[in-house]
Amino acid sequence: MMKPGRHLTGGLRTLLRSTLALLVALLIGGILINLGGYSFIEVYAAIFKGSLGSWRGILLSLATATPIMFTGLGFAIAIRVGIVNTGLEGQLYMGGLAAALAGAYITGLPGLIHPGVAMLAGALAGGAVGLLMGWFRIRFGAPEVITGIMLNSIITFFTGYLSNGPLRPPQTSSPQTAQILSTAELTKLVPRSQLTTAFIVGVVLCAAIYILQKKTVWGYKMEAVGLNPRASKVAGINVSRMYLLALFLSGAMAGLAGGALVLGVLRRFVDVLSNGLGFQGIPVSALAAHNPLAVVVSSILFGILKAGAAMVNQSTRIPYEFVDVVQALVVVFVAAPSIIATPIETLCRGLTGFGSDNTASGIDAEKSEEEVVS
Amino acid sequence: MNLIVSAVIISTLRMTVPVLLAAVGCSWSTKAGVTAFGCEGMIATGAVFSVIASYYTGDKWMGVYAGMATGALIAMLHGVLHIKYRVNATLSGMAVNLLGVAMAALMLKLVWRQTGNSPEVAAFTKLALTPGMEWLKTVPVVGYILGEQSVFFFISILIVAVSWVFMFKTPWGLRLRMVGENPVAANTVGINTVRYKYIGVIVCGVLSGLAGTFLALVGMNRYTLNMAAGRGYVAMVINNLGASNPVGSALSALLFGFFDCLQFVFQSVEVPSQLLMMMPYVFTLVICLMNTGRATGPAGVGRHFDD
Repeated sequence: MMKPGRHLTGGLRTLLRSTLALLVALLIGGILINLGGYSFIEVYAAIFKGSLGSWRGILLSLATATPIMFTGLGFAIAIRVGIVNTGLEGQLYMGGLAAALAGAYITGLPGLIHPGVAMLAGALAGGAVGLLMGWFRIRFGAPEVITGIMLNSIITFFTGYLSNGPLRPPQTSSPQTAQILSTAELTKLVPRSQLTTAFIVGVVLCAAIYILQKKTVWGYKMEAVGLNPRASKVAGINVSRMYLLALFLSGAMAGLAGGALVLGVLRRFVDVLSNGLGFQGIPVSALAAHNPLAVVVSSILFGILKAGAAMVNQSTRIPYEFVDVVQALVVVFVAAPSIIATPIETLCRGLTGFGSDNTASGIDAEKSEEEVVS
Repeated sequence: MNLIVSAVIISTLRMTVPVLLAAVGCSWSTKAGVTAFGCEGMIATGAVFSVIASYYTGDKWMGVYAGMATGALIAMLHGVLHIKYRVNATLSGMAVNLLGVAMAALMLKLVWRQTGNSPEVAAFTKLALTPGMEWLKTVPVVGYILGEQSVFFFISILIVAVSWVFMFKTPWGLRLRMVGENPVAANTVGINTVRYKYIGVIVCGVLSGLAGTFLALVGMNRYTLNMAAGRGYVAMVINNLGASNPVGSALSALLFGFFDCLQFVFQSVEVPSQLLMMMPYVFTLVICLMNTGRATGPAGVGRHFDD
């Protein structure tokens, strides 16, 4: 595989690639805002002032990063075995509902154990949906990209029905389930903020999954399946079991995202629990080059962007939606770094006349590496 | 009774048109060997830009052209990512979906400073209300049902026919299918596989953009947030069910349209609306599970000429 000496440069190149992708995505997002009649510099200045300029903003950024850290980690786990888990959104809803029910209807648990039990319920519910997708694939050969999307719609409508009907407490008219008991609430890291212990759980899980992937036989088998399922099968790896394991873990992470929202922020399940937080796992994981440890950083970066935009949106109405565009562009540029690299290379050639050797050889090395991967 | 039956037929045909257009687009893309996984984004983009064009020009046909053009444009991104930069088509399609849906929401804010829906724009009415077509009402049953449709209904029948003839009765169609079945062999006999793959993807974008235009400019007369509502993914399943054949896709889309319209038929009955809205997706999932036993797509999907 990779020579030890090249490891650092490979990592550096990945870092450079992700940084460039984020910067170019921010630039294009800015140009779009400008075309819409807003000032790009003012908007960005306001966003970063909103998220990083105050203690409250920093706390909100970390809190915003929490659910997308879980869903990003979920996406990264599945892509390791070559599965694009498009069902994170539905898994998040399922996890949120299970956590809300466990938080509201299991009584008599002390405040130290109850949140853990409720989070576990969320993880199991999300993981169960992941297992279902895996079973669809193994038993019926159904592509998980399609079953995942269909399950998203089915689950959001079904949980919407439950929170509008059977599970809605009689005294309220809005679509939500009963409020969780105070023993089930996640402990706040800072009083009167949205930052809860779920953030720490997320960071710990990112590290744990990293160790699972890099240091254990299971992780090695998963990587082998992702690189070449047929060869893995011949080598005696139970490929189906690896798919199920990865999808269970992936779904469980999304379930925890739902649990974190319900137990830490909303204190009940509401019918619009997440507006695409599951899908936002994709850019988070892509920016991190699908590395679980880097997911912590990339989710915080997007958390800063989203929290800042939300803070600014309260005072001056800026087009909050451009954050989603920036996230989508990150996926594009990380997937195909040459889209950025080729124009830069051409520019360097043009400036120096002959072309800078550094850039050209750098691009070539990158290309050859990509060919090996594909 | 007759009234209910004709109401079911009318709304089935109406619900069929957008998924049919996108599914035939998927057929083009799949036959050329490119997984059609970006339709959701293409539909959303087509929908919002058709409304923008109709809003500024006051001409609904300009909206149609804009919808098709922007659908093709964002399909190009999918094409370039997959064909030129060799990104896995699922991932590049997902990138296009994320971008298209996000872009549509952003446009709503940038153009109209709105978050929910756009103002009403010039749009298409049903044929019975179109000047010069009033005579349809006088034809019994058939005229009544067709009169409730828009001009898009006939355009989509035409598109299905043209697509089928192109793919199965012309030398270019044969080459397109060969590229999808075996790009290496196609390259060996001198076919420009890259060009045919781009053609497949771009037609997919044009038709998906048209599907988005239908959603926005027929019946709704405006863009509303999340208008595509998963139809791009549904179209992909329908295309699988129809074995990537335009006629097969059209017939499968009809089946989906029937399930989609049931929610309006049962609206009067005491069934929670969420459960009714869930039904088309359950149906699609079941189809997907039942259908995957047999191989339907071309053999060379996702492969390139130099693999």
